[in-house]
Formats: sequence, C-alpha cells, structure tokens
Amino acid sequence: MKHMAEKSQKNDIGKLSFEEAITGLTDIVGKIEQGQIPLQDSLQQYEKGMALIKHCRTILQKAEKRIEKITEEQTDGEED
Amino acid sequence: MPKTNKIYTVSQINSLVKTALEERLPSRLTVRGQISDWKHHSSGHCYFSLKDTGGILPCVMWASKFRTVKFAPEDGMEVLATGYVDVYQVAGKYQFYADRLEPAGVGALQLAFEQTVAKLLKEGLFDEAKKKPLPLYPMRIGMLTSESGAAVHDIVDSIHSRWPCATLFLYPVPVQGEQAAEEIAHALRQTNRRNSTLNLDILIIARGGGSLEDLWAFNEEIVARAVFDSRIPVVSAIGHEVDTTIADLVADARASTPTKAGVVAVPDQQEILTQLAATEQRLTTQIRAMARSARQDLEIVLASALFRNPLSLVQDASQQLDELIAELTDAMKELLERARRKLSASYEQVARIEPHRLLGRRSVEVSEWQNRVNLAINAIVNNRRMQLTAQANRLTALNPKSVLQRGYSITTNKRTGLLVRTAEDVRPGDRLNTELASKNLIESEVVKK
Repeated sequence: MKHMAEKSQKNDIGKLSFEEAITGLTDIVGKIEQGQIPLQDSLQQYEKGMALIKHCRTILQKAEKRIEKITEEQTDGEED
Repeated sequence: MPKTNKIYTVSQINSLVKTALEERLPSRLTVRGQISDWKHHSSGHCYFSLKDTGGILPCVMWASKFRTVKFAPEDGMEVLATGYVDVYQVAGKYQFYADRLEPAGVGALQLAFEQTVAKLLKEGLFDEAKKKPLPLYPMRIGMLTSESGAAVHDIVDSIHSRWPCATLFLYPVPVQGEQAAEEIAHALRQTNRRNSTLNLDILIIARGGGSLEDLWAFNEEIVARAVFDSRIPVVSAIGHEVDTTIADLVADARASTPTKAGVVAVPDQQEILTQLAATEQRLTTQIRAMARSARQDLEIVLASALFRNPLSLVQDASQQLDELIAELTDAMKELLERARRKLSASYEQVARIEPHRLLGRRSVEVSEWQNRVNLAINAIVNNRRMQLTAQANRLTALNPKSVLQRGYSITTNKRTGLLVRTAEDVRPGDRLNTELASKNLIESEVVKK
C-alpha cells in the first residue's frame, strides 16, 4: 500500500511542469528550513524534494533544441 | 457686320479653363502650405485647404492616396503636397488634387512615429503596470518573424545556447512591405486565439536591423494594439541596439537585438542546475541537522531516571503501600486502645456511684453495656481468631505432617534413620517407627519382604 502510494507520488511528480516542480521545491525548502513540521513529515518532504530536484534535472538535461513551425489554420476564416 | 460675341455655355467655359490650366501648368507639382479646414470625410476622402499669408488653395486627397500617408495631418501643420491642379466643374472652382502629403521640415515617418507614440501613450499602451511578467521557465516559445531573415537564426541560437530544453515555434510573417504590419498583427492575434492548443509561454516578435522604413511595420498602430492585447507575454527583438520601435515600447519586455532575445526571454540552464545543486545541499544539511537534534533529544530522554531504573516507580508505590498499611494498623490500635480506656473509665464511674444505691436501677444498664462491650470485643476477637485460623490452615496445608490428618502415616527406618518409601529401603530385621497424626508412634519390625 505504502509502496503504491510512493509510486503514484513519483508518477505525479513526473507530470509536473518545470515551474510547478520549482514552486513545490521552494515550498518544501521553506517548510523544512523553518522547522514548522514534525521530523517524520520532514523526512517525507525531504524525499519529495529530492524527487522534484531529480525531475527538474531530467527536464533540463533532455536539451533537444526542438524547432517547429506554426502553419496557418486551415479553417481560419474569421478575423478578430 | 460687327463681330458677334460668341456665347459660351457654362460647361464650355469650365472646359476651356480646364484646358488652359492643363496647358499652362506642369502635370505634377509640389506645393508648400499650412493646412486649414482639415476634414477627413467618412467616405475616406480628405478635404482641406493649404494657405499662406497671401491666399488659400482648396485641396482634395482621395482615400486611396491618403492610405499611404503615415502621419495624421491636422490644421496648422506645414506640409508639402504633391499632385496636380484641376477644375472641379460642378462647383466651378479649381482645386489641388494631392496624392502625396509630407510634413515640411521633419520626415513624414518621424512625425508619424511621434504622433503614434503620443496617441498610444495617452491611451496607456506603454504603462508599466499593464506589462505582463515573463514566465520564469518558458518551455514553449513562439517566434513571429521572417522565415528567411537572419533574425530567426540569431533568436534560435541565443535561446538554445542558454535554455536548450525549450521548444521553439516559428510563425513565419513578412517583416517589411505593405502587408507586414497587418500580417504581424494577425499572427499575434491568431497565436493568442489558438493558444489553448499551442500552449506558448512567450511570443517573440523580431526583425533584424534596417532603415526606419524597413522597420516601419513595427511602428504601426495595428501591431502596437495586437501586442498590447496579447495574453501571451510578448518580447520584442527588433533592429539594432539604437532602434526603438513602438512595438518595443508596448512589448512586455524588450531585447535590443534578436541576438539578445535569449538573455531576456529564458534563464541560463547552467545557473538553474547550480541552484538545484545548492537547494539539494541545503535540504540535505537541514534534514541531517534535524535528525541529529532528534537523536540528541532521544538520548536525553533515555538518560533520565525513569528509563535508567524502570522499576523505581513500582518500588516507590510498594513502599507507599507499606507505609499506608502501617499507618492503618497504628490507627486501628489507637482506636482499640481508646475504646478500652473508655470502658475502664466507665467502670470507675460506675464504681464511684455508690453501687448499692444505684445498683437496683443501674445494674441492668451496666450489664447491658457490659454485654454490648463484650459482644463487640468478642466480635473483634472472633474475627481475628478466624483470620488467624485461616492463616494457620493455609500454613498447615503446606506442612507435610498435615497429610497425616487424612490417615496417612510416616514410616522411618530406625537403622538408617531414613524415610521408608519403597521396599528397597528396609531389610528383614529392621525396626521401623511409624508416626501417626495423633503424634503417637508405633514401633514395628520387618519380618518379611
């Protein structure tokens, strides 16, 4: 059960945008550094923080340098 | 016959004047004057006059020609009008048909630029408060620029060298010429309309360096308004460092050239990676400190008296219990003693009251009291005796000899002095002592075994 929960948390983190991950990370650092949460929660938050850092690194290091072209919409009749 | 004066029709006169003008005046000329009575008719045509200190010249500018005029003419403005003079036969007047209009002195584009800036400034299109913040980590970036120009490569390089994880989307638009402004504005509006599927974080409108004319599309009001209306934050990257277009003034952020677009629009991947490493370090240091402090707390607790000697609580309680029992016993003894003293005092009182006189009346009372006292004492004593007997019984049960009460006996070999448990413990001729419950002894001899 606990394993499943951890796995789903990892999947959730994998879906976060870079900005969301950084926001989550900032939040965790704040909570842990202010010592507002009990040790057990801190450990969980710490693990989540590490997962977020890993996720951010994965995004940054993909580095595909992709370029695409936007084409005019086919059904573009209306002008605004 | 006197020469008959020829009679002309009105139309003939006007026609003659028209021909005379055409013959005597250049087919195209430029006139300088100050605008007055400027009227921009709803049909799009413009009617006005040019005047100087000596006179006035009625002018017309057709809508098709006025469309090319970049600045907004107004009364009092000194202008150069180019066109031709013709007769407006319906009104019987000659007038100037302008096909070009330029401000005298300053360039038309310069004036147009200043006018548009003044207008949009008044409307609040350049307000800092209206500028949208750029996203910190844009992942999908739209580029509105010419597909063939150098600007697109400059932008791609400047972004991907810093932030290679971003995907760039090129929306090709002409960046100069008649249609440029309209197409740029259209592209801005269309990317906004389609952004639920495009998901662009930023739009960059760009063009490489050029003359004021080359960059003109980015000074057009239609582009300025499309930039202002964009819900996607717009970064402008137009011309050289020294060029400022109106699009630059309206954009949410401005890069001085296309090569600077990356610095303005995206973060540096290396910096972010360094920050991530620092955050990781901070988190780890913090969590270690917390764990260390928690361990210290635990050690302090474990070192406390309670954990060193967990039985001490029980021991303390048992000592308290002993003390309470002792107190209780003392109290009971005291109570008993007091009762006894009261009793003997009563006897003395009774003795002092001349018994022979009171005897008849009091003797009944006394004996009653005596009975009650006796009963009380007997009750206590009996109670105690019963308790004692119970205790003694319990003790007796443990005494091996109590078994004898139930008819068993203990037999001892006199020769060995040991208990006889089996036939092996005796031999013929041995004398045996058998102990009975009644404390009597029977002596016997082994005859056979």
